[in-house]
Amino acid sequence: MSPPTADWIQLHDRFYRKQEIYTMLWKQVDLSKYMIAAAPFGGPLALVRDDRKVLLLQKQQPIKPSIYLYTSSGKIMETIQWDKGHIVGMGWTETEQLLCVLEDGTVRMYNILGEYTQFSLGKDAKDNRVIDVQFWGTGLVALTGSFQLIAITNFDEPRPLFLADPGINEPPHSWTVVPPKFTLSRHVEVLIAHNSTILVVDATEARDERLQQGPFSKMSISPDGKYLALFTADGKLWVVSTDFQKNLSEFATRSQVPPQQLVWCGTDSVVLYWDKIVLMVGPYGDWIKYTYDDAIFLIPEIDGVRVISMDKCEFLQKVPDATENIFKIGSTAPAAMLYDALDHFEKKSPKADENIRSIRLELSDAVEACIEAAGHEISHQYQRSLLKAASFGKSFLEIHNADSFVEMCKVLRVLNAVRYYEIGIPMTYTQFQRLSPEALIDRLISRHQYLLAIRICEYLKMRTDRILIHWACSKIKKSSDDEDTICRMVVEKLANKPGLSYSEIAMTAHKAGQSKLATMLLDYEPRAGDQVPLLMSMQEDELALVKAIESGDTDLVYHVILHLKRKLQLGEFFRIINNKPLACNLLESYCKQQDPELLKDFYYQDDRTVDRANLTLMESFRQKDSTERMNKIKAALRLYQDDKEHTFEAKAIEDSIKLLQTQVQLEKDYSQPFSGLSISSTVYKLITINQSNRATKIRGDFKMPDKRFWWIKLRALVEIRDWDGVATLAKSKKSPIGYEPFVEECVKAMQFREAAKYILKCDAHLRAGLFLKIEAYQEAGEQAFLQKDLDTLREIRDKCPNAVIQGQIDGYISQLASSR
Amino acid sequence: MSTSTAAAVAAASSPAQPTGAHLGHTSLNIDSLRDLARKELVNVLDSVQGKKGLVLDPNLSGPLSLIAEFALLKDHGVEKIYHLQPGPLETDCKNLIYICRPQVNYMKYIAEHIHTHTKDSRAGSYTYSLFFVPRRTALCEKVLEDEGVFGEITKGEYHLDLIPLEDDVLSLEWDSTFKELYLEQDTTSIYYAAKALMRLQGIYGLFPRILGKGDYSKALCDMMLRMRREMAVDDLDASQTMQLSQNIDSLIIIDRSVDMVTPLCTQLTYEGLIDEIFHIKNSFVEVDASLASAASAPPGGGSGSGTQSSATAPTGKKKKVPLNGGDKLFDELRDLNFAVVGGLLNKVAKRINADYEERHNAKTVPQIRQFIVKMGGLAAEHQSLRLHTALAEEIMNYTMTDDFNRILEVQQNVVAGIATNKEPEYIEEMINKQAPLVQVLRLLCLYSLVNSGLKPKQFEFFKREILETYGFEHIQTLENLRRLGMLTKQVTTKNTYGLVRRSLSLIVDEVNEHAPNDISYVYSGYAPLSVRLVQCVVQRGKDNKQPGGPGGKGSGIAGGNGWKGFEDVLRMLPGRTFDETQRVDDGQPRPSKKISATRFLASQEGGQRDFVICTTQILNGNTLVDSLVQKVPDLHASA
Repeated sequence: MSPPTADWIQLHDRFYRKQEIYTMLWKQVDLSKYMIAAAPFGGPLALVRDDRKVLLLQKQQPIKPSIYLYTSSGKIMETIQWDKGHIVGMGWTETEQLLCVLEDGTVRMYNILGEYTQFSLGKDAKDNRVIDVQFWGTGLVALTGSFQLIAITNFDEPRPLFLADPGINEPPHSWTVVPPKFTLSRHVEVLIAHNSTILVVDATEARDERLQQGPFSKMSISPDGKYLALFTADGKLWVVSTDFQKNLSEFATRSQVPPQQLVWCGTDSVVLYWDKIVLMVGPYGDWIKYTYDDAIFLIPEIDGVRVISMDKCEFLQKVPDATENIFKIGSTAPAAMLYDALDHFEKKSPKADENIRSIRLELSDAVEACIEAAGHEISHQYQRSLLKAASFGKSFLEIHNADSFVEMCKVLRVLNAVRYYEIGIPMTYTQFQRLSPEALIDRLISRHQYLLAIRICEYLKMRTDRILIHWACSKIKKSSDDEDTICRMVVEKLANKPGLSYSEIAMTAHKAGQSKLATMLLDYEPRAGDQVPLLMSMQEDELALVKAIESGDTDLVYHVILHLKRKLQLGEFFRIINNKPLACNLLESYCKQQDPELLKDFYYQDDRTVDRANLTLMESFRQKDSTERMNKIKAALRLYQDDKEHTFEAKAIEDSIKLLQTQVQLEKDYSQPFSGLSISSTVYKLITINQSNRATKIRGDFKMPDKRFWWIKLRALVEIRDWDGVATLAKSKKSPIGYEPFVEECVKAMQFREAAKYILKCDAHLRAGLFLKIEAYQEAGEQAFLQKDLDTLREIRDKCPNAVIQGQIDGYISQLASSR
Repeated sequence: MSTSTAAAVAAASSPAQPTGAHLGHTSLNIDSLRDLARKELVNVLDSVQGKKGLVLDPNLSGPLSLIAEFALLKDHGVEKIYHLQPGPLETDCKNLIYICRPQVNYMKYIAEHIHTHTKDSRAGSYTYSLFFVPRRTALCEKVLEDEGVFGEITKGEYHLDLIPLEDDVLSLEWDSTFKELYLEQDTTSIYYAAKALMRLQGIYGLFPRILGKGDYSKALCDMMLRMRREMAVDDLDASQTMQLSQNIDSLIIIDRSVDMVTPLCTQLTYEGLIDEIFHIKNSFVEVDASLASAASAPPGGGSGSGTQSSATAPTGKKKKVPLNGGDKLFDELRDLNFAVVGGLLNKVAKRINADYEERHNAKTVPQIRQFIVKMGGLAAEHQSLRLHTALAEEIMNYTMTDDFNRILEVQQNVVAGIATNKEPEYIEEMINKQAPLVQVLRLLCLYSLVNSGLKPKQFEFFKREILETYGFEHIQTLENLRRLGMLTKQVTTKNTYGLVRRSLSLIVDEVNEHAPNDISYVYSGYAPLSVRLVQCVVQRGKDNKQPGGPGGKGSGIAGGNGWKGFEDVLRMLPGRTFDETQRVDDGQPRPSKKISATRFLASQEGGQRDFVICTTQILNGNTLVDSLVQKVPDLHASA
């Protein structure tokens, strides 16, 4: 076993190491001939022949290009026959979907198995062609031939978004994107090298940073988004903060030729690649050079760089601090002492005890450091020996929480499993921490590594539903067994998982043309709502509606209703809706807002005469033209007349027709608007314009009750302050509403003298109160006295401002009091 | 205030400051709901880069103001705020964010905005983002599609469901619930209510017991139980680890249809009357600016801060004033019978005055400093005193009118079942006087409900009077009321309400308004049916089978007898009765509830149990009836 420091190289004050992870399984792949896109976190590589590079036509080589998907260990996963036009760029999403952007603005999104969906960047991209594209985990930015930038920020609902016009008219020297999570605004920004400066473009503006050091032929953003590495025309590597405020370092490479690749290794050094030469430059101008025999490809990771060459996959990284402390030659760090102690112990040397003693106080930290260092090791031996050292150290501690030890053992088992060359995900501990176990499981699922995924889930105590569903789906797609067998197979495997959702599996079966299987599987779906979309696409319209109603989600019901409405003949549509009350109610309320014609049809076919009549009647109120209006009302009347139960309404509508006719006449006679008024208001208005006779006639026509007519007349007369009229009305005959209203209406109009005229006509017991209202204290007192109403008398006395009258009332009070 | 769908849950309450500072003082810590809503709002605003115009659903601006203040919106790039309404939107903001309910009419307004913008070539290009509250719907997307603007808009969701109005009141503020649910029988609100209650359970644990009355209550309960089953599909672990709530011991759901009588009555508490007269919306009341600014005038006396210089603003302008537990004085007054409010205001005024006078005693520097510290609080108190005095005066003017008193008298006679023919006569007089239709219908419906309908002749008579006086379009209004059973023809002489009234002692003769010992103080003698129902469940273990009256502290509803002992009464009321015990799961459905009344129950329970009210909509008699009145366009406007 070679010493752990064998592959370390010092760069100023720190160490870097380049470790071989895999010997590539592929044969003779000349990387220089391909356009390559690699997914981070140890993800796969996509290779497609670069049609800008000259290639010797070899035997057995297909003319049509293919996209090859390889694991990091060079194992072929999928070959996608390419049948479309020129690919401008390829990139990976954070869920490991491959994006291919075509010249005409089409974007295809492939999963690892070569199934794809596609969308377009819009007409502008199509017309002007896409000339370049840049990606980040959740989006992309395309540069068009007219030098406009189009961004997609969400691949689930791709909507092309134009960024501000950068205002350039030649291709940029280089450009890159700053992903939204690294910008202040939380929206994507694009950096464009133009002339000697850099333009920063976002959705709202293009800002010139006014730099002089350009033109910049290459640029790259550090993995934490804080720094920008630039390669200048005179061969300098320049690192600045992304806000261009802080100069970090400058390094002259003495190469006039820009590097083919410029990537970050972690966040503190930059790796440049020219043909077969790799140059790593540290922050203090130190550098390391590696040479290769063939073309290579660099894949930046958050904690290092993956180097893919024809025969190897290597990982170049800064040696993690914990590891450096232990293995650095001559290190006396506690963890190094502990590691050394284990060595002595195994050799049965007493120095073991001495070592432990010397670090007694820091032993706990030393244990943790060994555990951490184990996590950073790729080699199984060192993982084991470091963990052993930790365990050894632990035994000397009285109290030590072993959680981190146990946890690390688990993680390492998982990492070792996925790093195995057949799986080919060379994920580091740091990357695993960042990515989360769930995302790792998703990656295994998309690679169809179900068994491993389930084992890991069970081992880490995570839910296995997604894996099982995915498994079932792919089983259905691939299997050639008959539907019953598949169903049995799937259900057996999934049986002891309560609550597992079957709808996705059923949907897959349906798409694969196995509708019987789909139906069988759907029965197992516990959520009514989730069955709906599938039932709809299976043409199980009625069932879909039933299930939607069952779910209680009214919007889902609407969804089905609107779908059915689009799809079916009206009659058929109503037939399905009719016996389902909720669907009917929702349809009704939808129609009221959006489609009144449909509502009429609906009422008609359902024999809902009253609703139809009311609907027609309400329409009449929206007609400006009185003839139109009349026609609508008459239509409503006919509907009501058909119904024996609604003679009252029929009569009322007849009256309303009569009213409308009368009003038309009135409008002619008095050139004043009348229509829209009720009967009472019509009468009221007539009186206020001094047309009492006409009012009386209308009253007769409509057989208006006496009481109401008197009230209307009284109020109308008071309104026009026709006090004589009021008096005449009061005298015309015995009032059916009594005389109190006369008093009150006059009081309201502040006409106390008028009011006084009617008080004596009112009931005796009310008179005192009424007099009080018009501030006639004396009369009030008299009336109260007559009624022997002591309480009212006292009230009057309290309110009365006049001492004489007060005295009088006091007299009444004592008189009444004594007579008791 | 009554609520349209409500649920009572236990908790405790105490006062605090505006914009939500009054929240978060109970064991349930309602404030956390507000924080969540606030964070999400920020995300919504940040989703669009640069400066933006915010176009708000008018019905949401109230709830949103409870969640975020304007400064917050400004910090996140909001330059202008518009109300979403018909007609073109003229703005210089190029980025527009719409936040609205998923309603068809709103989609049409938005489409209209976009169409006018695209037609106007000078306008340049706008970007549109639309956030649905609480979620996007297929229906609205269809309308946007029909209008041809679907592709123009970036759509998202803002999951604002239960809005904490007070520590003990959560509301969905789904304004159309009553009409939607009962008239159109569109159960959307039940779905949202169930979702919201599930979310509450997610936060506070499962309700140990769910009791309820009414068909829609039952539907809500069933939906919640089903959602819980389905939750296992999404996240088995979460559903298994969900514990029974420590803070909430049961959910009582009562739907509005069980108790239509209560909201039709005039509430006589201070807050109730403010609502009757000024109409409280989203816990804000709109009053004349002169009233409101009187509240901000400096306190009298030389020591006033003197910073507020503006005199009384010109009248006629309206101003929105928040009414919530953050206003200490209001918190004290809100649930009192109005009869005692005047006296209390007087007392407070005297105390504040005395506190101001203390300044003369402040001789030494520390004393003065102490006084200055106190001053701030005094000024605030003084402000609120001015506002409430002004409001109380307005209310007083209103309650002194003959009309108000006669309506009240009729109302009380009707609910008390002391029927003579005076009541229908008065209703007829109101019609003859062309009193506002809503008032007429409120009384008439009350009369009909209490008497199991109107006698056939009377029924025809009133229908005719209404149509001839208010217009024939009200054929539809009457039909609406008939469908809801609010205004019907008597078919049986069996008087259900009468039986219920007696068995639940809804009418209490001796009401002590100053020191209430029974809930009936809220309506000066009438105890709301829905509250009595809650009492049935809560006040167990009393000798007296009548649920009214003080005392009787429950030993926890979860372990109680539920509806036992009241089966007969419940059978008389419409809708199904249920009582579910959740193994880790339980509840009581109830769509209608008096808030003051429930608070009172809390105090009656000697602080041992408190209630939190969850509702879909806060409703009073006017809004309830008004939502059922047919509106027609005023084409041929009269003079």
